[in-house]
Amino acid sequence: MEASIKIRGRRLANCTEIKLLISHPMENGRNRDPVSGNLIPAHFIRELVVQLNDKTILTANLGGSMSMNPFFSLRLKNHPVGGRLTVRWLDNLDNSDSAELLLE
Amino acid sequence: MLRRQFLRVAYRAAAAISSHLLTAKTALAAWPASLFAAGDFTSQFQRVHGEQAIRDSDAIRISLPEIAENGAVVPITVSSDLSDIQRLYLWVEKNPTPLAAEIELDASLAVYLTARIKMAESSHVTVIARQGENWLRNRRWVKVMQGGCGTG
Repeated sequence: MEASIKIRGRRLANCTEIKLLISHPMENGRNRDPVSGNLIPAHFIRELVVQLNDKTILTANLGGSMSMNPFFSLRLKNHPVGGRLTVRWLDNLDNSDSAELLLE
Repeated sequence: MLRRQFLRVAYRAAAAISSHLLTAKTALAAWPASLFAAGDFTSQFQRVHGEQAIRDSDAIRISLPEIAENGAVVPITVSSDLSDIQRLYLWVEKNPTPLAAEIELDASLAVYLTARIKMAESSHVTVIARQGENWLRNRRWVKVMQGGCGTG
């Protein structure tokens, strides 16, 4: 499977900004296929976990009200240079993916 | 031929096992299905926050467009100078599933989060923040020009 998660890190004055972009349809089960008219089954990310050096720093439970291809940005206090950032998601069909970024 | 078939089967079995392991490792906590259920905002809000006293606070800053051209993608930024914000809830009041996200933040993170939410129609977006024993609320009205069919 092609990597679904893009992570970018950027040093700001007092923090390190992390941007996450995840490729995912985030279907909430209420949209209809424009051709067949059938309901498109729900398919969305339910859990997102961000870890820094194996310590969980963010856990998000998400619903069908999050946009397609979810984007998040967050800010780490200070500059954890050399830190290993891990991002992992799990969706309602038990698909999952993870990615890592070494902070510079 | 037989060898090739065997390899193919063995490969599939290995792939199935590894993806299963990955899933098991990823499932850290049970996703709270009832909080994210469809329902009107008042009853869903009650289900999540109960009788908890919640104070309106401008210290929870919400950045949202006043007018959203496309309800399928509405950028939101929540930030605060308060310390000890451990949890955030993002509510889109008029969406069929009003709770968009429940987020736990570690103290190593600044209170700053950007995300993109769906909005079915013009609505208040309410943010609830938990700061220790205190619960804080702020909200913004967003006028949605085009709510996507089935959004939210």
